[in-house]
This record gives sequence, structure tokens and C-alpha cells, in this order.
Amino acid sequence: MRILIIDDDEDLRNLLAHYIKQEWPQAEVEEFDPLVRDMPDERFPLGEYDLMILDYMLGRGDGLEWLHAFKKRVECPPVLFLTGAGNEIIAVRAMKAGASDYQRKQELTRERLITSIRDLTHDAAATTLSPELAARMEGHMLGERVRISGFRILRLIGEGGMSRVYLASRDRDDEPLVVKILRSEATADKNALARFMEEYALVERIKSRHVARIYGHGVSEGHAYLVMEFFDGGDLNKRLGGRASVPQEALRIFRELMFALGDIHECGILHRDLKPQNLMFRSDGSLAIVDFGIAKHVDSIDRTGYGEIVGTPRYMSPEQVRGMALDLRTDIYSSGVLLYQMLSGKHLFDGESAVEVALQHLNKPPPALEENLSQYQRLLDKLLEKDRDARFRNADEVIGFLARKYQQF
Amino acid sequence: MTDSAYIVVVEKDLEDLVPVFMNNRKKEIETLRAALAALDFEQLRQLGHRMKGVGNSYGFGKVSELGSGIEDRARSEDRAALDALIVDYADYLARVKVVYE
Repeated sequence: MRILIIDDDEDLRNLLAHYIKQEWPQAEVEEFDPLVRDMPDERFPLGEYDLMILDYMLGRGDGLEWLHAFKKRVECPPVLFLTGAGNEIIAVRAMKAGASDYQRKQELTRERLITSIRDLTHDAAATTLSPELAARMEGHMLGERVRISGFRILRLIGEGGMSRVYLASRDRDDEPLVVKILRSEATADKNALARFMEEYALVERIKSRHVARIYGHGVSEGHAYLVMEFFDGGDLNKRLGGRASVPQEALRIFRELMFALGDIHECGILHRDLKPQNLMFRSDGSLAIVDFGIAKHVDSIDRTGYGEIVGTPRYMSPEQVRGMALDLRTDIYSSGVLLYQMLSGKHLFDGESAVEVALQHLNKPPPALEENLSQYQRLLDKLLEKDRDARFRNADEVIGFLARKYQQF
Repeated sequence: MTDSAYIVVVEKDLEDLVPVFMNNRKKEIETLRAALAALDFEQLRQLGHRMKGVGNSYGFGKVSELGSGIEDRARSEDRAALDALIVDYADYLARVKVVYE
């Protein structure tokens, strides 16, 4: 395998070459420094490489211009384009210009690099050994099949038990967006499909800055899809990174969550599946909730699908675990579980299995916060009451409590 | 500023690369100072962008954080803030200790 790395940063080139050589000791890696060499002309043997890794800021040039020039040549190999975080419009333009994949430099890990290279070079060994790769290939192919007027699907960026998530762009302005496509097994279930369409029709009507904007939904090639806002700030899970937040920041996020819940509940909608992966951030730090109505899907899929269940029971209310009829206090409890995690950096309950975790919501008192966080204990206690009649009744009550006790306005 | 060291834990197999990385960061300080003296905000922005991109990759989150600040402040041509960030960066590099695991 021959790989060409074009980046103006010697350290990044060294690191990428190191990761590649570790994974494929026989690979030939050529480092190209655009600070000392001009853009390769037509004599440059592009066709001799299996892959090109190309940065978008080249010091003396623009990686997008280079990409356009390379892609005019039929022998151009697949291109892995490197972008900056929060700069998805560049990623969108690169994918439209013919890049096969992109990675955000700040988040580029060994695993992500290797996975991407395997995908792009169709590494034979991995194809036969990895079911994950086969699943990803299936996801890529699905993205290529589905056509949505006015939008273009560019790249698979995530997978869940229910759906696959793609980076997409709007044709008229290249705005980065997300397209969620329901998995075929869920689409085949007429009830599940009806719920998906019906619930997103509801969400479209919620006009709140705390809810992901929906740009359209429908069915294409037999697959239900949803076009929604792209969040360049990532989700709460990523933001926490397994650690606690600074208490003031945790409280700020929690308060935003309460405003979001207030808006949703006012429309008669319960979320039922609040978890860190469903709380997204925009680049200005504002929060929005995603994945409405999926909880029902997740419940039905979780019985047979492995993976999605892992996170969900951690945030269930006691009445949810019991299978009782739910009201908006279920979301209040789940928010309390999230606040505990933000403040402490730990899960409220842990266990060997999903069932064990879920049962603790019924039977085990929540652990107390550490002494330096004791001022938030009363708030948490009232959020995490197992008897919902003793809990805060709605988001407005919580917001009032925050204002009185912590001067959060 | 404090006198304590910044401990950065880096993967053992990057041990050969980190001295080059650190050396480039020290050279970067000089380039940043020169660019600020020349009020070359475009170069400052590019240098900040590069720091932002490479720091995390090696496990030096602080380099990325400072790079992001330099990139932003270069865009707004905020000399005082850039000066302070470069001082912070030099201080960080003087006190950072790398542990390989």
C-alpha cells in the first residue's frame, strides 16, 4: 500500500505516518510538505498511490483548490480530507469536490485514521475479518442509494440501533446538515414507521431554539429519513468525556435543558429517552435536544438489538422501569440523572447488566454528592425522588428553584 | 501562572516523535513572537490554527486550547490578548513534563 500525506505540519505528518506504519509495516508513506514544494502538476504520479491524505490549510495554498485539481485526473486515488473541528462547511465542500472521507484534525485518533484508511482502501484483511467494517460498508451504500430532493448525503457519521446518521449538505448553500435514515428492519415494521413519521411531524411544529431544527422527512427508496440540524459542538457525552463538569457549567447546561423540556412539554410531548447522546451543542454553546419519539423505537429494538440498551436504562425513571403510564415527571427524573453525572463525573447507578442498573432506579437511594458539591444535594434529591408525586412537577418548578437557590436567571 | 509542572501523559510508542514535536513547539514560540512584533495577524492565525490541529493529536490538549485562542484573537487582531496567550504558551512549554505510558 502506498499513501501520500500532504500537510504543512511536520508533526502531524510524522504522527500519521507513524500510525500507518504501525498498522501496515509494509506500507510506503510519502510525506509532502506544501511549504517547500509547489502543488504537484500533471507529471506527478498520482496513480501510484492507493490513498491521499490532504489537509485543507496548506500554509501556502488551499487544500480545496488542490483537491479540485487532483480530482480532474482520472488516476487520482481516494482522498481522506483533513478539516478543522466546527468547520463542517469545508468538509461538505471537500466531499462535494470528490473527497472520499474527511476527519476533523483535532479529533483524529489512531483508531479513526486506521478505520478510515481501511474503508477507503478496502483493506482485504479487514474485509474478511471485521463484521463492523461490513456493517459500515452497508451503511455507506445505503447513503448512496437514498435520494432527497434539495439535499445531498455525503458521509456516514454514526450508527445506532434504530438508524444511521449521515453528514449531508443543502444544495443551495452547502449548509451542513444531518440525515437520519431509519434502519431497514425498523422501516419494515409498519407501526414503527408510522410512529417515526407521526412523531417527527409533531417535532417539526415545536419552534424552540432548544430543539433540533427539522428540515424535512419522508421516505426514499423504501427508507424513512429525517433531515435535521447539524451540531458542530457535539453531544454531552463527548463534552463530558467521562469527567465531571465545572459545577457552574453543569448548572448552566441543566438550566438550558429545563427550558428545553418546558418547550417540549408545553406541546404535549414527552421525550422519554434523555441521555447525554441526545443533548447536542451548537458552536455558541447553546443546547438542543434530539431524538424525539425514538424511545419507543429503542424499547422495541432493545429487546433484540445489542448496543442501544447499554446507555438507556441508566437514565430511566422508576415509573419507566415499572412500565407505568408516563407523564412529564419522567423527563424530570432523567434530567436529574444527567445532572448527577455532570456534577460528579460518574453514573448514578452502575451494574453488571442493564436490568441490574434499571432495578436500582426502583430500589436504591441515589448516592450522595461529595461534600464540595453538597449545595446541589437538595436539588438532586427532589429531581431523583422515586415517588414522582414528591418530585418537581415540571420544568418551570425546577427553573424557579434554580433562580431562588442558585441565582440562575 | 504557578510554579507547578504540567504533566502530560503520552502513549509510549510516541516516545520517538515527541522530542521533535516539543522542539517544533519551541521554535513556534519564536515565530509567534516575531509575527506579533510584525503585526502579521494572518501568520498568527495560521500558526494558531496549526497548534489547534496538532496539539490534541499528541495528547497536548493545552497546545490546542492555546492555538484556538491565538487563532480567534488573530482574527480580531487583539494584540494584548495575543501577547498574553504567547506568554502563557511559553510558560506552559517551560513547565510541561511528559510521562510515557
